[in-house]
Amino acid sequence: MKTLLLFAPLNLVDGLLLNFFSRETVNYVVWPFLQIGAVVTAVAVWALYATYLERKVSAFMQARLGPMRVGPWGLLQPIADAIKLLTKEDIQPDKADTYIFRFAPYISVAAAFIVFAVIPFAPDWGVITDINIGLLFVLSVSSVGVLALILAGWSSNSKYALLGGLRSSAQMVSYEVAMGLSLVGALMFARTLSLSGIVAAQASDTMWFILYQPLGFVVFLISGIAENNRAPFDLPEAESELVAGFHTEYSGMRWSLFFMAEYAAMIVVSAIATTLYLGGWYFPGVLQLTGGYNNLFVIISLIVFTTKMAVLLYIYFWLRWTFPRYRYDQLMDLGWKWMIPAALINIVWSALAVFTVQALEAWGGVNTIETLTGGLNLTAIGKAVMIAFGFGGLLVAAAMLSLLNWRSRDFNLKSQRRQIRLIDSPKGTPAVRAAATPATSEV
Amino acid sequence: MPAVSITQPTWREKLKRFFLVDLLSGLKLTLKFNIGALTDKDAVGGKGIYTEQYPKVRPDVAPRFHGAPRLNMDPETHDTLCIACNLCALACPEDCIDVIAMDIEVITAGKARKKKVLDEFIFDTSRCMFCALCQEACPTACLELTQDFELATYSRAGFVWNREMLEQGRETVKYDS
Repeated sequence: MKTLLLFAPLNLVDGLLLNFFSRETVNYVVWPFLQIGAVVTAVAVWALYATYLERKVSAFMQARLGPMRVGPWGLLQPIADAIKLLTKEDIQPDKADTYIFRFAPYISVAAAFIVFAVIPFAPDWGVITDINIGLLFVLSVSSVGVLALILAGWSSNSKYALLGGLRSSAQMVSYEVAMGLSLVGALMFARTLSLSGIVAAQASDTMWFILYQPLGFVVFLISGIAENNRAPFDLPEAESELVAGFHTEYSGMRWSLFFMAEYAAMIVVSAIATTLYLGGWYFPGVLQLTGGYNNLFVIISLIVFTTKMAVLLYIYFWLRWTFPRYRYDQLMDLGWKWMIPAALINIVWSALAVFTVQALEAWGGVNTIETLTGGLNLTAIGKAVMIAFGFGGLLVAAAMLSLLNWRSRDFNLKSQRRQIRLIDSPKGTPAVRAAATPATSEV
Repeated sequence: MPAVSITQPTWREKLKRFFLVDLLSGLKLTLKFNIGALTDKDAVGGKGIYTEQYPKVRPDVAPRFHGAPRLNMDPETHDTLCIACNLCALACPEDCIDVIAMDIEVITAGKARKKKVLDEFIFDTSRCMFCALCQEACPTACLELTQDFELATYSRAGFVWNREMLEQGRETVKYDS
């Protein structure tokens, strides 16, 4: 009797189901459906209450109170909003491409929700499915969301929606590269693509990869925020320029589907960041503390995972309500000139770190590697070396990126800079000769 | 010579840029407000919440604020303190007060005399500028501009207050806090 009485109902349900179905059906059909139902409900409730949280956090940061009227502390506000959205008219623009216009929100939501199938929320029954290419699956499926934005922007028959869709697809495609590359460093330590395997690697190494990979974490987080089209990278939804971007023409429930997809995508990025860099459901001492009660261990791990994710989601809100929006050329500049080189530097640097640790083991006679099964498990010395490499990598990358972008900080086009003559002594012929024309008339 | 002069950043500024000092200080400020709001600190010093829950919680107006007018009554007899002297109407720069008096027969010391008493008092709050000169002029401390600031009505005629409204005060909706 290792099972705690409190969590007995799970086993009770399992026993009950076995009366009607075979063992295989219960394990591979019924329980996954229950898990999927739980996850989808949790994510939908989150998308509902994220609006509330976002409004509250923004209000607190601006010395306001936020929603206070519907229910105590405005807690029923999301429900009132949901009722409003459900009963609103579903307006469709004249000459819009009807079928695509109607279908786009579903692609968006599906792409965001499918990813949850592979995320390990907790050990044992906290995983819906564990496939050995989990991370690849996540990256490939979440990029399908771009398709929805393009379709929505194109089919709306509106210039604002089209421009917003173009912008967001360009942004998401360019940040996807940095996002994918930044994950490679962490994979060198985990030595697997399975998300459960990555968490297990961190658990067996008793170390979160954020300490080995601070640069990778930062790059992943920034590209993740940019890929979600969240502020300060919310160019597609720039209210002052594009009304609302790709969902300008949407109203009612279809609009809220896009909204839900955005918040679900936020959880996806937070969950991946948690899994890869913050140890997933692993927290030191939980396994020993629960003393073999499996269900208790799973539930505490679930709480640990959710807490880590909540911290990252708070960072989303925090950044959104602190920083102003990027200009579009700055956004592309950041993506291609800073994030992708940073991710590449991270790969090389991590490889160098892993090589150093192995070299110390093989040739230096220092015992750094404990075991290679289930990820790269290091001894205390190896960990110290790796952490030093990790945080040194931040400075190295910052210095290298500064050198790379030394001459292109503010303006991209040199000719543009010459035209308003910010450069004192231009090499070659200046675009505008000072003697021929007055300087002021050219700009 | 460049047309636009740009100042070269100093070493200090370059280092600040490199370590993202300004971004982090911005984040620190918003976090400070957020924590202040959650721990319910003093709004001004402790970076807390400034918002007032207005219809539920009424704000404290300044002591020298002049709001809705009121005609005070004797607290024991509930007779009006107004002696219909018309000084307030004379003092009013906007001519928004009308004091309508009437003569009544009063028997004092066995002799019938005529006495001027208040019949009706018209106060047009739409024209009033709340200078409180009428309050200053009143010899019996009858007319007073109170701290009540809710003067909005649905019609222009609603701004004209008669004696009953001035004595009883206007009915306003009270919300439970």
